[in-house]
Amino acid sequence: MTDTNLNRRQFLGGALGVAAGASALAACGSPDSGSGTTSSAPSTAPSTSRPPIASEPGKMSLLEWAGYEAAGTKAQTAGMTVAGSDYIKKYGPDSVTYTYIENDDQALQKATASGGFDILHPCFENFQDYVDRDLVQPWDLNLIPSAADIDPGLLAKGTKDGKTYMLPWDWGYGSLTYRTDHVDAADATGWELAWNPKYAGRISLWGGASTNFEIAAIKAGIQDMDHLTADQLETCKQDLIKQKPLNKFYWDSEYGQMQPAIKSGTVWIAYSWQDTLVSMKAAGVPVAYLDPSQGRIAWFCGFMLGKDTQNYYHAHEYIESFLNKAACAQMTNAYAYGTSNSMVTSADITDKALATSLHIDDLAALTSPSVHLQSWNPDRAKVLAAWQQVKAS
Amino acid sequence: MTGRLGSSLLWVYFVLMVAFLFLPLAILVLFAFNSGTTPTLPIEGFTTKWFTDAFSNTDLTSALVRSAAIGVLASVVATALGIMAAIGLNAKRVPGEPVAIGALLLPLVVPYISLAVGMLILLQALKFKNALWEIALGHAVIALPFALLVILPRLRSLDGSLNEAARDLGASDFAAFRLVTFPLLLPALLSSFIICFSTSFDEFAIASFLYPSGQPTYPVFLYGGARSPAILPQLIAIGTLVIVISLLIVGLSELGRRWAERRIEGRNSASVDVSSADNLATT
Amino acid sequence: MSRSTSRRIGGQGLWVWPPVVFVLVLVVVPLVYIGLFSVGLRSNIPGTKTAFDLSNWKDFLFGENNPFRNLFWHSLLITVLVSVAVTIAAYPLAYFLSFVARKNRYTLLLLVLAPFFTSFLLRVIAWQIILNENGVVNSFLWWAHLRPEGDSVTWLIYSNFSVALVLFYSWIPFVALPMFVVMENMDRRLLEAAEDLGASRLTSFLKVTLPLSIPGIIAGFVFVLIPTTGEFITPLLVGGPESQLFGNQINSFFNDSPDWNYGSVLAMTLILLVLILMLVFGRFLSADLRRPAAEVS
Repeated sequence: MTDTNLNRRQFLGGALGVAAGASALAACGSPDSGSGTTSSAPSTAPSTSRPPIASEPGKMSLLEWAGYEAAGTKAQTAGMTVAGSDYIKKYGPDSVTYTYIENDDQALQKATASGGFDILHPCFENFQDYVDRDLVQPWDLNLIPSAADIDPGLLAKGTKDGKTYMLPWDWGYGSLTYRTDHVDAADATGWELAWNPKYAGRISLWGGASTNFEIAAIKAGIQDMDHLTADQLETCKQDLIKQKPLNKFYWDSEYGQMQPAIKSGTVWIAYSWQDTLVSMKAAGVPVAYLDPSQGRIAWFCGFMLGKDTQNYYHAHEYIESFLNKAACAQMTNAYAYGTSNSMVTSADITDKALATSLHIDDLAALTSPSVHLQSWNPDRAKVLAAWQQVKAS
Repeated sequence: MTGRLGSSLLWVYFVLMVAFLFLPLAILVLFAFNSGTTPTLPIEGFTTKWFTDAFSNTDLTSALVRSAAIGVLASVVATALGIMAAIGLNAKRVPGEPVAIGALLLPLVVPYISLAVGMLILLQALKFKNALWEIALGHAVIALPFALLVILPRLRSLDGSLNEAARDLGASDFAAFRLVTFPLLLPALLSSFIICFSTSFDEFAIASFLYPSGQPTYPVFLYGGARSPAILPQLIAIGTLVIVISLLIVGLSELGRRWAERRIEGRNSASVDVSSADNLATT
Repeated sequence: MSRSTSRRIGGQGLWVWPPVVFVLVLVVVPLVYIGLFSVGLRSNIPGTKTAFDLSNWKDFLFGENNPFRNLFWHSLLITVLVSVAVTIAAYPLAYFLSFVARKNRYTLLLLVLAPFFTSFLLRVIAWQIILNENGVVNSFLWWAHLRPEGDSVTWLIYSNFSVALVLFYSWIPFVALPMFVVMENMDRRLLEAAEDLGASRLTSFLKVTLPLSIPGIIAGFVFVLIPTTGEFITPLLVGGPESQLFGNQINSFFNDSPDWNYGSVLAMTLILLVLILMLVFGRFLSADLRRPAAEVS
């Protein structure tokens, strides 16, 4: 019996040891959390100790929107034929892999949690988050000749403390695309179209938390959609809960879910950017891009350089192949988005009527009072928490 | 015990049930060869181009390779640990047996989403970046109970006298294990490997949280592409291959297991002691 | 083949330790971390003050009309309903295999189990293809002129129906298995005795077979109940905004929201639910890993 007692004691000792070790493991670590990022200050100008381009690994991982893949890669699903083609011709179609952004909040989460991206393509509303969380480093504009063509006002927005963290590239609107053959023109007056019970089950809003709260805010007449009081937040939340059952689904993938659904008639009303208008017209689907009485949402996005990238010079070359005039012009024609490259003028745009109606040749439209530019929200955490509640309701 | 009416009804029920169970698999096979670009009726024509497209899609093939590598690693670790656990549980005295059994079977009941999230938190706190080996370890731990449940009964059913005889003849414990027990365990080890591999190959929750940027595993890639009409046909083609292969493996392993057991039983009852003794004498 | 009890392979109980430690490190420690996050002792947001804080738990458990708690109950309800349906559907299957298909029952069992061994994700995707708006069912209805072209049955997909159907489909083979095992071990002579005593077939089923198969029924029910409580893949692919399950909310928190503390409360709740279910139903799931009592050391 002594033998068993000893064994039991040994085991208990071992188990306690393991438990103690586990709690020690849990208890150790800095008092304030353990996120994956370090707390060092953002790096300054590129150091001369950077390895030359030849010794860089070369394979880049990008956090990118679907449709913005470089021309020549197998992933290019939509219309870009020039942007990135120089880079891909030089380094091959397998030199880049894309992780797709589902929405701005998810992208920020992904960049923070898993990290490891060489280039990211977030939008202005999250600019401060990426910089504050030390996820990105400044670009060296000397390595990007076409950066000189970027509109200075826009470039200034992507600059902090004299360092350029974001190179703005594309800008546009967010609104509702709707099937003109299913939706009454009389109903298409404003954002309330997405709340119209007549079209229950035929609506699809984006899965983007911040954007949906901005929509609810604009619809409620709140002027500053990115600075909500607690009461306003609650109102918007209740409004979104009311809207939720009217959706067939919240879409995460533009080319995978939203556009095919509009094309097939599964969905008649969807939140989208103006490129959907172009795609649908090209496919012969009768749609219109809502100009709501409350005003459209506006955005601009740009390229940011990953803090821990091993492909510093490759990244700059990649960006150059996107920022040159030909690439920007073709992008504008393919997607009807505006471009930051001031060399692209209305002469380069093929669909003149579309250019006029959407003002994509005029950067001033981005900051006009008739649209709501998505900007930084200091209370974004509250918005995200409220969105989780909407999803659960 | 069951009348004719009852039996006929049950036969009908069974056939309908099997048809229901195989329906989705049949649909996948059907559309893998359909020349239409979307999986919708009517069938447009026969083609094998989705297969060739799929195999030239490097994103897809690298995801498959990644999942296979992770699966092999996870299966090896899980099976090795399963052998250890089985040996331990087969001992005369197992210190803290109920606790050990509880711990070893714990991964069977823990919800994978909670475990995935817990691993994510832990790795972030330890300042580890996402990596494929982390996924492999996660898969190994969830496959471990399966390995144990397959290996232990087999170990139990083996005749301990062989092992005893080996040790009587001077073999060390390890040599006895290597030359006597291990070969006899092989059918169970093979089953364990197959079960662990398929568990890992299909696992989504842990992989979706821990995969490094740009390097998705096959299930993660599958999920991402399932809502994209452009590559859905390719995914269906590859999926059909995966299904056919798994069905073949299930069938073959069952046949193989029966064959191996019959052989081993045959050997056991023959003059096996002589041949094993010869082997051991040369150790 | 003789089973000499004093000759057992192994003999070193200590060999069980490395795998146990492996599980403790890879499973228990992460779960401990979830617990720590849920009470605010750790945070993933840099610079947050960390202190023991039950406010998230209080909000989830007692907050007025807390949507996550409502989702939890809704999700649990669907899980229980699906589990009951699966159990009821699997029983005749097990009965058929054990009592009707005597000769080929193992082969037929394998046939039933075979789909279960193929990729779960692929089977869910296959159902998405079947139920989709221009999927197999709808395009068949159009082709057969049973519905006008383009008019699809909308409740087939992205609904509670699609989620329940796919869950139901996925678990039937697995649930039939323990029922089959229990039925196989049933002493058939009892049934013969009942018939000898004049009982009708129905009576002997109701009074002998059914009661004796209850352990298998409960085991099968638990086999499907426990994994389904945490299910989130099916609603991701075939569910709509109103048919998401509790597991999806956890997934959503950790993917889209920086508030991992609240998300951990939900993840911890799921773990506790499963542990409670195990405590209640655990004795019906005997994985006989202990040494047989008959053997003497």
